[in-house]
Amino acid sequence: MGKKRILVVDDEKSFTSLLKLNLEETGHYDVRVENWPEDALAAAKEFKPDLVLLDIIMPRLPGGNVAAQIKNDPHLKQTPIVFLTAAVRKHQVEENDGIICDFPCLAKPATVETIIEMIEKHARK
Amino acid sequence: MEPVSIKVLLLEDKPGDARLLCEYLAEVTSALFDVEHVTTLAQALERAVTEKHDVALTDLSLPDSFGLETFRRFHAQAPRLPTIILSGRDDETTAVTAVREGAQDYLVKGRLDAHSLGRSITYAIERQRAEEKMAASEAFYHSLVENLPQNIFRKDLNERFTFANQRFCALLGRSLDQIINKTDFDFYPSELASKYQRDDRTVIQSGRIFETVEENISPIGEKIYVQVVKTPVFDPKGRILGTQCIFWDITERQRWEQRLQQANSELARSEAALRRSHAELKAAQLQLIQAEKMESIGTLAAGVAHEVKNPLAILMMGVNFLTRRLGESDESVATVIKEMREAIARADTITRGLLEFSAKQQLAVTRQDLNGVVEESLKLIRHELKEKRISLELRLAAHLPPALIDKTSIQQVLVNLYMNAIHAMPSGGALTVCTYSREMTETTFSEGSRKSDHLWIGDTALIIEVDDTGTGIPQESLAKIFDPFFTTKPTGVGTGLGLPVSKKIIELHGGTLDVRNRPDGGARATIMLREAKD
Repeated sequence: MGKKRILVVDDEKSFTSLLKLNLEETGHYDVRVENWPEDALAAAKEFKPDLVLLDIIMPRLPGGNVAAQIKNDPHLKQTPIVFLTAAVRKHQVEENDGIICDFPCLAKPATVETIIEMIEKHARK
Repeated sequence: MEPVSIKVLLLEDKPGDARLLCEYLAEVTSALFDVEHVTTLAQALERAVTEKHDVALTDLSLPDSFGLETFRRFHAQAPRLPTIILSGRDDETTAVTAVREGAQDYLVKGRLDAHSLGRSITYAIERQRAEEKMAASEAFYHSLVENLPQNIFRKDLNERFTFANQRFCALLGRSLDQIINKTDFDFYPSELASKYQRDDRTVIQSGRIFETVEENISPIGEKIYVQVVKTPVFDPKGRILGTQCIFWDITERQRWEQRLQQANSELARSEAALRRSHAELKAAQLQLIQAEKMESIGTLAAGVAHEVKNPLAILMMGVNFLTRRLGESDESVATVIKEMREAIARADTITRGLLEFSAKQQLAVTRQDLNGVVEESLKLIRHELKEKRISLELRLAAHLPPALIDKTSIQQVLVNLYMNAIHAMPSGGALTVCTYSREMTETTFSEGSRKSDHLWIGDTALIIEVDDTGTGIPQESLAKIFDPFFTTKPTGVGTGLGLPVSKKIIELHGGTLDVRNRPDGGARATIMLREAKD
């Protein structure tokens, strides 16, 4: 069984590099990081991820717009997106069963275990 | 001493008698008599009008008049001239009648001497003066009694009227004759009459003045109020003869006094209202200031919390990575990593609290039984109570109306208050939670709230009280307990956001949260919520 391909879009370089480290450490994931939201669509087209972990509050192009670009792309529209953001609160997420505005959400700071759990739940098999 | 000069009009037709009288008068040393002698009534009447005499001596049998008729005509002409009748031995009875009709004295010719004549004249003049004075005085008092705007009457010891002035007669609508010898029972309802007579007896028994304001009835049957002054009436020997009463209508005055009183109390009422609205205004202003403060703190808090979350996410990732790589290799490394993870969790709790505090939270309100919410929330702290040896007393109202609340938020508040109580009792104690409802008797203003949906007078408030037997809150801290980040707990135990967040949640519900020390020690947190209305 091949590794799951995870695209992480977040302008916070330290966070993305550490998340990449953590996920790849497990041996189950192939992680690509994109710190420039405006390059996210191109990266997705090229990388063809099984799941996108997407920050919301980013300069120039917020996560919501990135999500819209991906969902509008005929080749990518089936790609699951999980928002990983400081803009929602944990109990908000918990009360809504992990779904906010039709998208799965994770509130920062989240542990690696929680993130993996979310990936496993939503990623394309 | 210079003898006084007295002008005498002598009416005597018999020359002998006249001469004799003149001789007697000449003998009197105490006065000088200037005698004008006339012999007919006609002359006398004429002289009496033109001349000013001090006294008249008059015989009754004259050529042009006889007997009592003489005196009557003369007296009618000169009523103020003191007149002494000179009578013969045969008409003494007539003389006596004349005296009764206004003559000052009579002298019997043939029994006269200078001394008694002089004395009679002097006395006649004096008596006339005294009588005139008396008459003037009587006229004066009569005029007062009849013209004063007061009702005046007198009664004897048997409560019978002995006098009434015209005003009182008019009040009763009777003539004086119809009033004299009657009693109050003839004119007033028996209840009033009895009251009047009781007052009279008080005056008679005490011998003192008695004043009162009482009911009376006007001639047209109107109820009026009168001021009454009753005094005892004494005879010259000091024995009580009866009572005198003076009273006057003060209905108008009473009415004005009542109006004045009413106006006064209205004034007092509006003053109180003014004071109240002033206080309310002040409270509202305080609220507004506090609300502004809270809002800017909230905005700041939200910004800070958000910015802190990203670095925390990075730290979390780092710690997760280190745990896997190093955690099991070395015990001290494991300890370091554990401490770091806990620090991240703590910082996360604070940022979450900050966001909750600042959030313009939407409540998901449903109809709830507060007793049930309380019982459920208590399950969450069972462990802490047991650990700290704290007993729990639950006093839940039997019939508590339902409340419209966001259950999760209210439970969050309750747990917050329980935890505060538990932290205040480190060496054990008792936690008492009680619920009840009561009607609001005054409006409450909660600082930091700008909402108009307060609890108003007449609303039914649902109340939850959380009491502890701890140390209470130091006076200097009381004013700050709702300020964000104010905490007295050791670092890591309190975020300083529990009460501000709780207060905010309760205020979003249109309720109030109040914390104060109990008189018998410990603190009490009181949540007041509104009853769910249909």
